[in-house]
Amino acid sequence: MSSKKKINKKDIGKLLSRWSQQFTVLAPSMESGVATMAEWDGKDTSFLDWYRNTVIPPKANFFPPMEEMFSFQKDREGYHIELPLVNEHKQLIFGIRPCDAKALAILDMTFEEAYEDPYYLAKRNSAVLVGLGCTNPYDSCFCTSLGISPAESTDVDLMLTDIGDQFLIEEVTDKGKELIAKTSGLKEATETDEARAKEAKETSHNKVTRKINTEGIEDKLLACFDDEDYWEKIAAKCISCGICTFLCPTCYCFDINDELVKQQGARFRSWDSCAFPLYTKMPMENPRLEKWRRVRQRVCHKFEFYPMTFNVIACTGCGRCIRLCPVNWDITRVLESLPVKV
Amino acid sequence: MEQRLRNEAKALLEQGKVDWIIGFESGSLKFATTPLITKDKNDADRLVINPFMVNNLANFLTEVKGRVGIVAKGCDSRSIVSLMQDNKVAREDVVILGVPCRGIIDLSKVERLVGKERDELDDITREGDKVAIKVDGEKKEFLATEALFDNCLACEFPTPQEYDILLGEPSTSVVNKPAAQEKIEKLKEMTPEQRWEFWKNEFSRCIRCYACRNVCPACFCQRCFVEETEPQWVLPVPRWQDNLIFQIVRNIHVAGRCTDCGECERVCPVNIPLRSLTKEMYDLVDELFHYKAGMDKEAAPLLIAYEYAEAEDLFR
Repeated sequence: MSSKKKINKKDIGKLLSRWSQQFTVLAPSMESGVATMAEWDGKDTSFLDWYRNTVIPPKANFFPPMEEMFSFQKDREGYHIELPLVNEHKQLIFGIRPCDAKALAILDMTFEEAYEDPYYLAKRNSAVLVGLGCTNPYDSCFCTSLGISPAESTDVDLMLTDIGDQFLIEEVTDKGKELIAKTSGLKEATETDEARAKEAKETSHNKVTRKINTEGIEDKLLACFDDEDYWEKIAAKCISCGICTFLCPTCYCFDINDELVKQQGARFRSWDSCAFPLYTKMPMENPRLEKWRRVRQRVCHKFEFYPMTFNVIACTGCGRCIRLCPVNWDITRVLESLPVKV
Repeated sequence: MEQRLRNEAKALLEQGKVDWIIGFESGSLKFATTPLITKDKNDADRLVINPFMVNNLANFLTEVKGRVGIVAKGCDSRSIVSLMQDNKVAREDVVILGVPCRGIIDLSKVERLVGKERDELDDITREGDKVAIKVDGEKKEFLATEALFDNCLACEFPTPQEYDILLGEPSTSVVNKPAAQEKIEKLKEMTPEQRWEFWKNEFSRCIRCYACRNVCPACFCQRCFVEETEPQWVLPVPRWQDNLIFQIVRNIHVAGRCTDCGECERVCPVNIPLRSLTKEMYDLVDELFHYKAGMDKEAAPLLIAYEYAEAEDLFR
């Protein structure tokens, strides 16, 4: 029996209110001055009209730009360490896009498989992801080249698809199934609704026109790894800022800093970027002092090293690095222009 | 103008007068341009001149070795001159291909004007003192002053002040100083407490990507103070206090070098109105020292020169 439900768009506020009793509901918001997933204010659903994707990727809700790892106090006996309070509220992210949900699955490989990161996992394991299919992808989006479709996802717990005045709701995981079982006020979807959703998904899929060819990409990158002239040429206009990495939904590098003022302090971790020369600065040398080496690192990490380690490309085609780049440096153009044929 | 630029650039490379050409080519997104940095004369045909040339290319001058032919708008030319004043580049190593500028279109303003995002628009054209936007097949006209960047509306020198080749007739800008100052005036009307709250709020969302710093030709320190570890002036952690200190010190460091090109504010991914700080500093520099950045390549840089008479004005 089909377990698909539906909800009127005008009832989304009610749905989120209901979920707010159990979760900290996060939804697309411009409240802070930039599009981000922020705590829902309990009434505003106008994001349904403007939301295409957030500038700050939802990774920030699990791996924030900065967080306190622990605080410490110093006295005669030495240091006393105090761990931060764990927020008991479980996050429910409403409206996450398939590209960003896939990105979290990619981040899990680092933060869960490679090692267990307690800060990330505490937030991640308790969270519920409610996906919302794209109806209007940007011209910078290229998710379909990476096995993602803008309105389909297996990386969320529930998936919503726009079918006109309503959203079709699909249960993707057991967590999603449980949530739906506890949520009153949803209607059963009809076969017509499902047919409409199928059509909507296809329409969205076809709206993504930017493409990359990932076939043999690892080998191609390996083959031109030492082509210094090529990398210098494509790196020339990069300004080495952190936008493409910080706002990439799959980039996870961080820096750790201590602050000690008088007798107390804290250890913080914050986003770091391979675009910064300081990132690889060591006492005697810097293996990536030249800009082209840093640009190469970013491209190769995503399309060569990550696939070698985890068998998945660390890019979901969300297009943020293209849209937000100060100089319109475009990863899709670069991958297209690799000076090798394999 | 565009064809002439291509010809001049090609000739410069062919005749060996420059090793590099730095200009703009069409970008990969609608209405975007992207810097073209090349040694190849065949690339010259890709050079463009249009009202979307946002970048201040002076930023790349210090990155390439050899002689450079560089495309410059009014503000960019002043940044180039400022770099000459600071001995970062030599006059004889630069061939300035001056573009008389009529203002650059602010796509964020265009988006607000028509309620659509840039990739949803069919066309944007500059027609005299109007900007025409074609959306959903319908053409809408706006005053250019509604669609240009704030800094363009305050532009005093749209025609390059220093050039080797001027690619067109000197231009007059479409200024609208009140509009250009609007955000700044609002801040001035606030009480100090309100202003403090305002900036605290703005800098709370800074992610310290340093795009503002890295896109700025006046920010050329080999090692930025925020990256010093002994002493550590601020933490690299994006707390609002550290973010604010970073930006205040950056602003002081570019005083007398900032040409109000507006790039810091444009590139900020989290929409912090940085020009409200830099423009205020620009005006203060003018008021206190009667100095405008990058106007005279022979002049000493503002903050390394001292004239006795200045004291009267400055300390009060």
